[in-house]
Amino acid sequence: MKKTCIFQDTETPEKTADLLAAAVRMYGRNGFESHAVLVNTPPEKFTGRFHHVIQVAESLAVDHDPRAITEILETLHQTHGFDSILIPGTTLGKMIAPRLAWRLKTGLACGVTDLTVREGRVEITRPAGSGTVLETIVPEGPGPVLMTIRINAFEYTPEETVPTRTSNYSRPVTTRSTLTRLGVEHPLESRDIREYEVLVAGGGGATRCFQKLKPLADALNGAVAASRKLVDQGIAKRHIQVGQSGKTVSPKVYLALGIHGSMQHLAGLRGAASIISVNTSPRAPICRLSDLVVQGDACEFIEKLMDKLTCNPHKNT
Amino acid sequence: MPMKLICAVKFVPDPDRLTAGSQGLILNPDDTCALGVALDVKSRDPGVTIEVVTLGPLSVRPHMEDLLRLAVDRGTLIWDPGLEDGDGFVTSRVLGRYIAGRACDCVLTGTHSLDGGSAQVPVQIAESLGLDQMTGVIRIDPDRFDRTRAVFQAMDETGVTIWEMAMPGVLSLTRESGYKLPYPALTDLRRDVSETLTLLTFRDLGFSAAEVGRAGSRIRVAAANPVTYGEKDPKIVGMDDEGITQVVDFLKKQGVC
Ligand SMILES: Cc1cc2nc3c(=O)[nH]c(=O)nc-3n(C[C@H](O)[C@H](O)[C@H](O)COP(=O)(O)OP(=O)(O)OC[C@H]3O[C@@H](n4cnc5c(N)ncnc54)[C@H](O)[C@@H]3O)c2cc1C
Ligand SMILES: Nc1ncnc2c1ncn2[C@@H]1O[C@H](COP(=O)(O)O)[C@@H](O)[C@H]1O
Repeated sequence: MKKTCIFQDTETPEKTADLLAAAVRMYGRNGFESHAVLVNTPPEKFTGRFHHVIQVAESLAVDHDPRAITEILETLHQTHGFDSILIPGTTLGKMIAPRLAWRLKTGLACGVTDLTVREGRVEITRPAGSGTVLETIVPEGPGPVLMTIRINAFEYTPEETVPTRTSNYSRPVTTRSTLTRLGVEHPLESRDIREYEVLVAGGGGATRCFQKLKPLADALNGAVAASRKLVDQGIAKRHIQVGQSGKTVSPKVYLALGIHGSMQHLAGLRGAASIISVNTSPRAPICRLSDLVVQGDACEFIEKLMDKLTCNPHKNT
Repeated sequence: MPMKLICAVKFVPDPDRLTAGSQGLILNPDDTCALGVALDVKSRDPGVTIEVVTLGPLSVRPHMEDLLRLAVDRGTLIWDPGLEDGDGFVTSRVLGRYIAGRACDCVLTGTHSLDGGSAQVPVQIAESLGLDQMTGVIRIDPDRFDRTRAVFQAMDETGVTIWEMAMPGVLSLTRESGYKLPYPALTDLRRDVSETLTLLTFRDLGFSAAEVGRAGSRIRVAAANPVTYGEKDPKIVGMDDEGITQVVDFLKKQGVC
């Protein structure tokens, strides 16, 4: 029986269990024992999902301290001897995993999007080369397999509940970081674009009318997203950027308005169930991946669609 | 005492020229900002010293020389054919050991590199030196940046946070910071900077061949395949009434309108 350790997604705790899907890929549904490590999150949500939930005492890991958490994970590994340690690819996760790899003298695969087992050997897939290639990585050496998992790359559907043991971690931490939070400059009040079923995304072809995307998104109960082009131009905020250096989204419908479909943008779209693109050029690469292509001007499209949408509360009647 | 800054920079293939199969290298965009902020600090206090270090092939030498024509005091290029195919772990180990031997108040790096993009090296350099590190830095407050502490802003999923961290430490800039490199002074354009560039091999740093390159790596890249996407056979409609109706129908069918 393999042992896998999953560190909590500190951004979206509910997503922690999705990393179980990565373990299933490696060891099969019943081939492993799952240990979840939680900081500042109640264990209840994870009962029935993980075999073992380890709750870190509140006073130990203050302020998302990457060094303290690294030490805790290292100590837990020494006790349990994990075969793999999976860490969500959040900003905090990316500051922990390399430290842990260093301490355990093991390799690290970052931003993992897929896993397979071939001839008994784990093969790890991650995008590289600015999103244009997929690397297959093979861990070498004895160490636990350590990786950061790209957010939303895996989705776990539980088949049955498992008996859960809960324990507390309270061993004093010896290495702490000196980081102190002095303040928050721009808190993001809006919900994360990854949580929406509909995304209305604007690109270079929607620069003129980017402000108009919001009413359309509202009418569809969705959110506004953007390509990097608009983020670089300062028109859109970075937290709504989709793609390789932005977010990976998996909406039911992705409306791509004036988006070309560069490799780096498409890297964030792998999970989109359907795409409608509006482009003056039907030869733009995004069109080939779309279910429906509207040829024409993105801004004109918004106006016309708003007029016809029956679900639009602002519709002119 | 003025600060001693070390910038760890990497030269990466220019993504805009990737498809052309060209070997054009550029300074990794995040690293441009790391050096940019260092030069900004130095412009306010000329006593500050800046060293640029890179682990990379000898072909980056002219690029390093270009950086030395800015207000950079010293450059170090670590290379040896034995370093080829090393993973992030090896890179961190070599750079970490080099930096450990230098007097330094702050290591400035990029957050991630375009080609590897794993954001592993700065964190492991910090771990190897027993220092704190922060990713996604977009601004360093020049008035509160000295040998004892740094106050800076960093970006993450939740927004922008203002942090204070003890120095020495590692700060990893992101290109969203917008820090830029100045142009070299006209008189510096052809200046011979070979004196200020040091070339080192892994042996100079006390490593054996078994500790670096493929042999010292903890992961192996078994394959690298171009990304492909499942293509569909899309219906192309116009902006007329009928086209828009089809969009509405599609949205209805998906249950979102
Ligand atoms: C390392 C790296 C990481 C990157 N990461 C990302 C990332 O995370 N996300 C991302 O998006 N990009 C990313 N990029 C940038 C990416 O390569 C592209 O430059 C970017 O996605 C282009 O944005 P765009 O398609 O909106 O704009 P453009 O390239 O300008 O395309 C505009 C499109 O709109 C169409 N158009 C023009 N006018 C109109 C109109 N009036 N109405 C309708 N259509 C119109 C055009 O035909 C074209 O297809 C990255 C690049 C690099 C090198
Ligand atoms: N070979 C290298 N030489 C110097 N610095 C490097 C090297 N590789 C990575 N770095 C630094 O580490 C940062 C993150 O790189 P990476 O871990 O490859 O994503 C870069 O932006 C550089 O500042």
